[in-house]
Amino acid sequence: MTARSSAADRRRPTPWDFVVALIVAAAAVALLFLLKQESGNFLTATVVLDGETIAQYDLTALTGPVTLEVEDASYPLTIQAEPGRIRILESSCPGLDCVHTGWADRAGQQIICLPNRLVISLEGTSSGDIDAVTG
Amino acid sequence: MSISLRRLTRCAVLTALALALSVAEGLVPLTIIFPLPGLRLGLANLVTVYALCRLSGREALLILIARCLLGSLLGGNLMALAFSLTGGLLALAVMALLLRLSCLSLFGVSIAGAAAHNTGQILAAMVVLGGTAPLVYLPPLLFCSLVTGAVTGGVSILLVHRVPALGDIKS
Repeated sequence: MTARSSAADRRRPTPWDFVVALIVAAAAVALLFLLKQESGNFLTATVVLDGETIAQYDLTALTGPVTLEVEDASYPLTIQAEPGRIRILESSCPGLDCVHTGWADRAGQQIICLPNRLVISLEGTSSGDIDAVTG
Repeated sequence: MSISLRRLTRCAVLTALALALSVAEGLVPLTIIFPLPGLRLGLANLVTVYALCRLSGREALLILIARCLLGSLLGGNLMALAFSLTGGLLALAVMALLLRLSCLSLFGVSIAGAAAHNTGQILAAMVVLGGTAPLVYLPPLLFCSLVTGAVTGGVSILLVHRVPALGDIKS
């Protein structure tokens, strides 16, 4: 076993370590660009539970706060939508990553509650299905 | 002490250490400071790096599997098992490959391992959710893995050099 100690015996970083870091950073930036979404004037939030769409909100058109209680989920949770943004207010899932994610207010953002297999995704449309909206 | 018994003992000790590290890490979650699902320092990965450098790939794999199985029994659920196993196995494979390159140090190996771990977790999440939605979390996780990988890389250099190979203690 001669190969096993070569990288392990070094005590200082080598230039190639920075190459590895650069590759990781480049992959992250490339993914960011790939996933970038058009941010239009209209923001739609879609709530998908276990592959089925259970609710859809036109966040731009909301006039006041709306709450949705999802009782069917394995860990019941409450979703709160306001004009322009949405979040998971409270959840009984372990970890509470979805609650800690906080508000989502930009197109392309997602709030995921993995234990519940629930995804809230935000999409932006420049014109939307609505033909004319003034204001 | 016979060879196989010594091997078994050191694998058991390292498994216990990896478990203790991941439990300790769970007590101070990074996600409180930076809300990003799946973000963690990856202290248990130190044990994988040590096992890869000082024991063998086979033993590192056994320790990893035992740690994931016991870890999900201790605190998690079946879903947590799927996540730690996919992430851990991918990280182990990438690090085992990179350790063969003589031009890298443990910094680069750890960063690549951390990035591979995050990629594995996101892949598992995509399978669980049946869609590409979790991909959104990958770029920020990759940026974080640069930091967490460098930190665990620095610690693992200390660990590998300060702690003698377990087989050499007696002889």
